Amino acid sequence: MRSTRVGACAVVACLLTAASWTLSGQSQPVTYERLLKADQEPGNWLMYSGTYSGWRFSRLNQITTQNVKNLRVKWLFQGRHIEKFETTPLVVDGIMYLTRPENAIYALDALTGRQLWTYEYRNPERTYNCCGKNNRGLAILGTTLFMNTLDMHVIAVDAKSGRELWKTEMFDHAQAGGYAATGAPLVVKDKVIVGMAGGERGVSGFLDAYDAKTGKHAWRFNTIPQPGEPNFGTWAGDSWKTGGASTWNTGSYDPDTNTLFWGTSNPWPDYNDDLRAGDNLYSCAVLALDPDTGKLKWHYQFTPHDLHDWDATQNPILVDTEFMGQVRKVLAWPNRNGFFYLVDRTNGKFLSAKAFVKQTWNDGFDFENNGRPKLVPGNDPTPEGNDKVWPGIDGGANWMSHSYSPLTKLLYVFAREERRVYTRNAIQHPTTDPAATPLAPNAGPAGGRVRGGYDDCLVVGIDCGKRLAAFAPEESYGKAIAIDPATGATKWEHRVLSPPWGGLMSTAGNLVFGGTIEGVIFALNATTGERLWTFSSNGPVYGTAISYLADGKQLVSIPAGDLIVTFALD
Amino acid sequence: MRHVFCLWCAAGFLTVGLWAQAPQNPALAGAATALPIPDTNPFTSESDVRAGEALFQTHCSYCHGSFGEGGRGADLTAGVYRHGGRDPELYASVRNGIPGTEMAPVRVSDDEVWRMVAFVKGLGSRGLLEKAPGDAAAGRLVYQKSGCASCHRVESDGGNLGPDLTDIGRRRGLKFLTESLLTPEANIAVAYRAVQLVLKSGQTVTGMRLNRDDLSIQLRDSRDNLRSFLMQNVEEVRYDKPSLMPAYASMNSKDLENVIAYLHSLKGAL
Repeated sequence: MRSTRVGACAVVACLLTAASWTLSGQSQPVTYERLLKADQEPGNWLMYSGTYSGWRFSRLNQITTQNVKNLRVKWLFQGRHIEKFETTPLVVDGIMYLTRPENAIYALDALTGRQLWTYEYRNPERTYNCCGKNNRGLAILGTTLFMNTLDMHVIAVDAKSGRELWKTEMFDHAQAGGYAATGAPLVVKDKVIVGMAGGERGVSGFLDAYDAKTGKHAWRFNTIPQPGEPNFGTWAGDSWKTGGASTWNTGSYDPDTNTLFWGTSNPWPDYNDDLRAGDNLYSCAVLALDPDTGKLKWHYQFTPHDLHDWDATQNPILVDTEFMGQVRKVLAWPNRNGFFYLVDRTNGKFLSAKAFVKQTWNDGFDFENNGRPKLVPGNDPTPEGNDKVWPGIDGGANWMSHSYSPLTKLLYVFAREERRVYTRNAIQHPTTDPAATPLAPNAGPAGGRVRGGYDDCLVVGIDCGKRLAAFAPEESYGKAIAIDPATGATKWEHRVLSPPWGGLMSTAGNLVFGGTIEGVIFALNATTGERLWTFSSNGPVYGTAISYLADGKQLVSIPAGDLIVTFALD
Repeated sequence: MRHVFCLWCAAGFLTVGLWAQAPQNPALAGAATALPIPDTNPFTSESDVRAGEALFQTHCSYCHGSFGEGGRGADLTAGVYRHGGRDPELYASVRNGIPGTEMAPVRVSDDEVWRMVAFVKGLGSRGLLEKAPGDAAAGRLVYQKSGCASCHRVESDGGNLGPDLTDIGRRRGLKFLTESLLTPEANIAVAYRAVQLVLKSGQTVTGMRLNRDDLSIQLRDSRDNLRSFLMQNVEEVRYDKPSLMPAYASMNSKDLENVIAYLHSLKGAL
């Protein structure tokens, strides 16, 4: 996390040798101390972002800019399911653990991809996931794996046998029609921190912690202040009861200040604010919490009173970087609203923001008001459809992981350039309009199913058909970019055909790995952005690569469609 | 040998079943079953039950016993079914098998599955046939003293090397339990068959085979570690000692009777 730790690549060579025993798979328990020092065992991948700092950076350097051209498929793992993989596998001492979209866990020999055991969780027939039956991965502590489920449970599974150890319900998933959990949990000390989804369904967001040994509920932070809590009055009327602000991706942790950072989703209804005047805290914000108690230390709201579904659920990235002549402990945050932010992570002070994609909504930031954005009129959704707004609904960045390399001191973002049509539909609010449709599980909370677009498009206040309307192809593309966190300046850009849904991983071999929606997996030179290697998987990449050692050799794994593709040098 | 024979039988059923029933039952050809499963069994006449019994003897009795008393398969006489006792649930268990267990799909027509369900439900109404003669409480002490928990689990306590015994009393009959203690090698589930790897380095590793192809083999070793070996490093894979469990033939008859009673009392969560 800190730049002072960064130069530790000297350790890599000896670790490469030491880790050559991993094929035997005699795994040691993953203690909290191991998690704290995850950057010192690059042969493993111990948590969602690799380390608590959220860098998604591998210190392995066997695969380099010189030899990456010799990268070949080592093995494939076939999920044999319809949904694509969004999972980030964990690798612990030669064993890979990964989740299937509908909540199965696989343990694989990390060298060969051969299956060791499977755990299958049975969700009820109806689950309330907004955007596919996805799961993004696991957390581990000791010899126990933790997974969230689509029906709002937290599951603990024995990593050796795949046996279920405990199961705790977070919330009745059908309420408000309803809740789901899709993100990877994060273990901090003896607790499993878990988020939830449902910002498109009028849920009331929260972040939960559970005792890792027993599954007993430890604390809950309500992401919408409840009556009597600070900032309660930022929602008009009863709109706070169904305001969304979910926590569907994974957070990061700073052990130096004992602070947990977690991003929140959009307020609900997404595109119609008739009934939710106010800033709608803590939607579209980063929360800084005490992981022992769940108490809020501070917050920063990137998009007050959001009307464009610009969640702030990106994985927080913790770096120490020079800013205005001083080294600052910051959160480096490429946000869905199209701006790259620096926020002082010790106190929530806004430092700077710079657009990394085309944007039309912002006219600067009010430094007197801790970086509150100044809005450009004419960007709100309209009944007839506003097609002049950039970035689009899926944002300049979304949930996919970004990466920070301590070697290049650059932040790598797989950005989306596109616009969409924002339509404001009439709504009936369930808590204020007696004629409104009840929050029935199989009906849209207000307005019913919208035609066109995604199969499960129950989004209120948006016409999915228009949302997916075709624009000129040249207006819509993806780009892997390298940002200098100190200035926000883009150092290089590598364009790809379509706005991506996969993330980026950087390595000590001076490489950046990623994959496109068309299934092209690539490696770029981390210093220049030059494309050095590609592989056509023909499966859409909806995840981010990891790197690890097996039998002493560096491997790179990345999900593509229903495959996990693993590469090694010839 | 019985095990090998059984596999061949199953293969035979599968082949014949596919050929004979594919037009009637698309599930056998891998397509999704289009019609919903009825809530009640449409085949419950006396002749249906008799036909179901004949089918049961052919397809089920090898594991579940001729009278449904259990053995390798669950005791069906208790009237309690871990995966559901309603008609459509029993139908699904027979038709599709039970994932994660040894219960395989039965390759017969849909109507025949219903007739088997009718017979099985009749078995369940008879109540538990078997009564263990020993003292279960005393048997629990024998179980603990003998170190069974180092390999076997009952609820949350115990190891992973042997089968989970949490509900073994519901899944296995007395005869099978006795045989498992005296001659463990007589009947071992595929997932618990031991292998011995002789490595080219000269080292020998024993464990339960988890997976194998031409390139590598994965096993759970006798210390409960998950391990993987490239075949290029393996000199020989031996299957001639298929059980990791010691035989308890020398155990005194009272202890044996009591520990069997204890195992028989383990019914798990119903």
